[in-house]
Amino acid sequence: MLAILKLLQSLVKTLHSDGTPGQIAAGIALGAALGLTPIANAHNLIVLLLLAVLNVSFASGMLAFAIFVPVGFMFDPIFHRIGRMLLVETPSLRPMWTAMDNVPGLALTNFNNTVVLGSVVVWLVLFVPIYFAARVGVVKYRATIGQKVMNSKFYKALQASKLYNVYTLFRG
Amino acid sequence: VADAAPQAPVPKRQALFRWKGIIPMAIFAVVLLGGWKFFGARLIKSGITASGTAVVGSQVDLDGLSIHFFPPSFEMRGFAIADNEDLMRNRLAVGRALVAVELLPLFQKKVIVKSVTVADVQTGSARTVRAKFVPPDTTPGGLGFETRELVKRVKVPVMSLVPIDSLKAVVLNPQDLKAVQAAVALGVQADSAKALADKGYSQLNLQPALDSSSAVIGRLKDVNVRTLGVDGARKALADLRRTAAQVDSAKNRVDKLVTDTKRSMDSLQALVGAMDDARKDDYASARGLLKLPSFDAPDIGAALFGDATMARFHQAIHYAELARKYAPPGLLPKESPGPKRVRMAGSTVHFVKQESYPRFLARRVELNLVGNGPTGVDYAAAASDITSDPAIIGRPTLFVARRVGKGKEGDSLRISGSMDHTKDTPRDAVTAVMGGVPLPKFTLPMLPYTLDAGVGAAQMRFALEGDKLSGTWTVRSDAVVWRPDSARARSLNTMETLVARALTGINTLEITADIGGTLKAPTLGVRSNLDRVVAERIRAVAGEQIAAAQARLKAQVDRLVDEKSAPVKAKVAEVRAESDRKLAEAKAKLEAEKQKLEERLKALAGGVNLPRLPGRP
Repeated sequence: MLAILKLLQSLVKTLHSDGTPGQIAAGIALGAALGLTPIANAHNLIVLLLLAVLNVSFASGMLAFAIFVPVGFMFDPIFHRIGRMLLVETPSLRPMWTAMDNVPGLALTNFNNTVVLGSVVVWLVLFVPIYFAARVGVVKYRATIGQKVMNSKFYKALQASKLYNVYTLFRG
Repeated sequence: VADAAPQAPVPKRQALFRWKGIIPMAIFAVVLLGGWKFFGARLIKSGITASGTAVVGSQVDLDGLSIHFFPPSFEMRGFAIADNEDLMRNRLAVGRALVAVELLPLFQKKVIVKSVTVADVQTGSARTVRAKFVPPDTTPGGLGFETRELVKRVKVPVMSLVPIDSLKAVVLNPQDLKAVQAAVALGVQADSAKALADKGYSQLNLQPALDSSSAVIGRLKDVNVRTLGVDGARKALADLRRTAAQVDSAKNRVDKLVTDTKRSMDSLQALVGAMDDARKDDYASARGLLKLPSFDAPDIGAALFGDATMARFHQAIHYAELARKYAPPGLLPKESPGPKRVRMAGSTVHFVKQESYPRFLARRVELNLVGNGPTGVDYAAAASDITSDPAIIGRPTLFVARRVGKGKEGDSLRISGSMDHTKDTPRDAVTAVMGGVPLPKFTLPMLPYTLDAGVGAAQMRFALEGDKLSGTWTVRSDAVVWRPDSARARSLNTMETLVARALTGINTLEITADIGGTLKAPTLGVRSNLDRVVAERIRAVAGEQIAAAQARLKAQVDRLVDEKSAPVKAKVAEVRAESDRKLAEAKAKLEAEKQKLEERLKALAGGVNLPRLPGRP
């Protein structure tokens, strides 16, 4: 329950932040990698670094991470199939994978794992669509119901729930 | 310009980078390093125990692990492999091992062992905590699955010294006999072959060619080239040629059908042969139902020591299977299950090339093992080129172990072997020569006695090349002791008593067992000095009755099989004869027609030299 509340807080906070729609969308597109692909992999360190040093919304990246984790779990069998097709069933790509698997450093990326490769490929393919979809979504939200949400009791309740967060910190 | 309207403020362009973001990332990196310091070794330790347990099929423990970066090495403390058959004992325990590895290959996730320094290595040591039993992997393709399947495929004869008066007739179910099943299948095949032959014959459609030939011959009767004139003769010649071509075409169709029918009938004949072979299997199966004691020494040897022999070869085959799984031949990509995680593991594909590091390589490992317990002895062992990618290394893995130190003069043990997976067909071989060692105890399956072979000599040679098996196991002892097996104690019948009396008087043992064939169809032969004694006793006590029982059983099999197979054989012969007769008749008719056409041509020529008909020399 607390996790859902925090997610809602984060969503609303991100949508009402000072960031431009482009910054929020870029954060979401980058953060999607953290959720779609298995987290403990070298490419996610790079994504995290990009979220930190690029002028994009870090919070929206974290929000996307939370949103895309269940999506990643759900689509793992598809990622595995895509990865297997690229790694095993496409002989023309074999020299490239062989070279990668034997280059110091690159071998640590785990791109020779079907789920990792499949999910990274899917994320790269979806990066631009996620970016534009998120950007359009943020613009439309702010232009239509953004102000109403800000004035709603729900939003105020969410704001108030920050007090609850402070309470949980000291609860012991 | 002065009246110009005030311009809207230009939005400030956002910078692409925020360099301050490096600070939290640096903090994150420090946290990661700290986490590694505290949890890294623990994670690797649990990885080693989990994967080790999966590989060896028994519990693997590791008390402590330290990782050093400069120079790269790791130190294991309290490494132990439990014995899955005695959970309070370790198969191998290593007190401390320092493994130094090369740095550069680690960046390719490859481990090249530079040196291994071990201390306090023990075999057969007692455990303080009972190990968990690791159930064998029963999934097809899992480790050990093939070996267990192979053991099931080896037919070890069952033998029991049944009381003579219980050699009564067994009523066989015809449906259980392979020859009867083969006869039923052959009957269906014969019907199908007959239908096919009849259909082929009707499709020959010979009548039009024969009718056409008769018509032409009739029309040209009593005419010749002089009475017909040039045009008439030309037309008659053309008619004769066309008709002859029709007859030839029909003959070709008959020839083709003859070939097809012959093939079909040969295949039926082969099935008749297979049916006769199946009958031999049925004799053996039927004998098995009676559990009749055999007079044949090889059967007796296999019945006495077959299971014990297979237990020895089972281990060798299991290790060969293990080696092939983790060191497969060739340079093709190798797929293995991905790392265990909350998300789906997927599979990890390793791409190998000739000029690269293997995933794992230990160039040379030397161990001094201290044996435990009253029979414990010390061993010196060494292995070279232990690798996951033998095709890259290009040399076979070699290993040797020998007994050192304690023991009486003459006691010896030497195990040596190789695993050559450098070529497409892997070859695994091991030779073990032991003298003055405690030999296994054998439980006699048909008598409540245990044969304690005491101390003696044993030798084992085993090779698995591709899927071809070859191996020999010999055991020699001059100090055999026969012990009654109280757990299986019972009153013995006359035959059992006599055989037991003969056996327990023997105090030497010589067993020679051979394994051969392939993994899919293994063969086992066992001979021993006890075989002759048992055979003689059985023959003396119950030879006639057993022979009569076997004869009755054979007659019963013959009767049941003949009831089904004789009509089928007759049907096959009939189908063949009828088909041959019909085709021979058709061929003869066509030949006669062709002959008549030839004669008509001669008559037509009336002495003029006309061209010959097609298909004639």
